[in-house]
Amino acid sequence: MKHEGMVHALEEIHRLLRPDGNLVDIHPVVEAPLIEVYQGGRVLFAQPNPDYSAEDYRQADNALAQAIQRRFFVVERSGQFDFLVYGSSVAELRAYIAEANAYEDGSKDEAAAAREAERVARVEGIMQGAGEGAEVATHESAHIARLRAIR
Amino acid sequence: MAIRVDPEGNETHALFDLVDLSGQHVLEIGSGDGRLTWRYAGRAAHVTAIEPFGQSVARARENLPDELKARVEYHQVGFDDFAAAAEPGAFDVVMLSWSL
Repeated sequence: MKHEGMVHALEEIHRLLRPDGNLVDIHPVVEAPLIEVYQGGRVLFAQPNPDYSAEDYRQADNALAQAIQRRFFVVERSGQFDFLVYGSSVAELRAYIAEANAYEDGSKDEAAAAREAERVARVEGIMQGAGEGAEVATHESAHIARLRAIR
Repeated sequence: MAIRVDPEGNETHALFDLVDLSGQHVLEIGSGDGRLTWRYAGRAAHVTAIEPFGQSVARARENLPDELKARVEYHQVGFDDFAAAAEPGAFDVVMLSWSL
């Protein structure tokens, strides 16, 4: 969703809320998620995804700021939490992420695709070396906020 | 071993720490496969969960625990279409679930 669409959506949400109702917004922070490998609770590998684009989340932050500036909402509380998704193989985790992000344009240029293939091979190697029970995870930070609708 | 999504429960803890959903009528936008809905719906009076992707909605309906079936309804619809048909002031809480 583009910025203008986000602001319009927030206006519509304001209309659907009862007076003093709450909007809860959860979205990732604008930092690249980590790819991690765990074995027995220990982190064997952690690397940020260099091809991560935070543009959508920057736009979300800007749209929220605009909705607050226009006095549709006031922020009452906010926080941050770590969100991890674990898979027993790289293929399993990638399939899950692809389905979860089906709405996104997943096309990559050649260089990005090559970097990803290299990263996958590296993580798979680490998984193999770690032995049975190793897990691969995506580790991202998310922002959560409660906003009150102003009438 | 299957995919494990937020087994630490960090998202649910953050949500419950932030908002009291007891007795609330909730609209969840972008409910995906329902993984977050199941975790909080037991506290709400009613949840309307909307998601534009049919495959995700089908999975959410299929995996919805029996005890939540009376209070959760899933709709395959985009937000604009849903909002155009919805009454003003219909919800106590609107949740943007990783969807803005």
